Amino acid sequence: MLAPTIAILGIFGIVPFLYVLYVAFHQWNPFGANPYMIYNGAGNFRRLVFDSEFLTSIAFTLKFAFFAVFSEVILGYLLAQLFMREFPGRAFFRTIHTLPLIVAPIVVGSVWRLMTTPSIGIIPYLLKSWFGYDLNIGRDATMAFALTVIMDIWHWTPLVTLTLLAALVSLPKEPFEQAQIDGANRWQIFWHVTLPMIRPAILATVFIRLMDALRTVDEVWMLTGGGPGAATRYLGLHIWKIVFPKTDYGYGSATSIIVLYLTLVMCWLLYVALVARRGQRRTP
Amino acid sequence: MEHTVDLDEVDEEANTIVASPERTGFLPIVTNWFDRIFVGIYLFVALELLWMRFLEQSIPLVACHVLAVALGVLIVWKG
Repeated sequence: MLAPTIAILGIFGIVPFLYVLYVAFHQWNPFGANPYMIYNGAGNFRRLVFDSEFLTSIAFTLKFAFFAVFSEVILGYLLAQLFMREFPGRAFFRTIHTLPLIVAPIVVGSVWRLMTTPSIGIIPYLLKSWFGYDLNIGRDATMAFALTVIMDIWHWTPLVTLTLLAALVSLPKEPFEQAQIDGANRWQIFWHVTLPMIRPAILATVFIRLMDALRTVDEVWMLTGGGPGAATRYLGLHIWKIVFPKTDYGYGSATSIIVLYLTLVMCWLLYVALVARRGQRRTP
Repeated sequence: MEHTVDLDEVDEEANTIVASPERTGFLPIVTNWFDRIFVGIYLFVALELLWMRFLEQSIPLVACHVLAVALGVLIVWKG
């Protein structure tokens, strides 16, 4: 029964991973002077730990992931709570708030680029006419970073909302009624009843969004191209630049392996911090 | 002849079977053997990278291999 699943996982998951791992221990630039793979041991990894561009992009990516995921979870939860209430047009708003999810990331990047390009974009125009602020993400590194975060929030908050809405809808009413009878206020109900009950959903959402945020490429590529300078050159973009324009496959593979490693470590640490502390049984 | 089943005994047996792979060692979490191998590999990679960055100029990487493998074995065995 499991054979097809294992075969598909092996072909599309494990074999490419093992191949990338194999390439990571080689020097390989098929368009260079020597197009053949040359084994160089841990040479790519040694080069990696001294690569200031890579280390900088780790810092930028972690900052991006933190701000984006944290904001999405907070905003997503608030929206989910809003959609739990009765108000006119609730079904309509529930439907349209998911629209960003069906837009391809490359299109999201293009649209935000058009909206933020000085002289033709609506955002610089409004900021200039309302606040006198001159927005130019080609020059202002802080604004470029902030806009990549805002774009990610705009694109992915609906996913968080949907997940948390599903979790909130499925909660039983009895614990809330019991808490109200016991005289708990709204904050106490949220902290002691709602939050523990939707914790698995929050955790799953954070994992999904964190993994996504750590490998974001296309949106940022379209919006800023990694600039100005290297201000928005996140890890995915850094790998793309090594592998495609420079065709340095060995070094790119080593970088990919380290990014995978960082993602796993972060998810595992989060899991340990929130779920698998000593004395608690693990959920399967 | 009437055959009776002691449900408490069955429950206890089932719990024993499920709980047996997990245990607590010096790691601050409940782990099974796969978790400990996982943690061992994490630390192996982290140690190798940090060694290459800060210590390789003075101490060869082979020392790190030995240390990382020993740490991995310790975690799998006692973690």
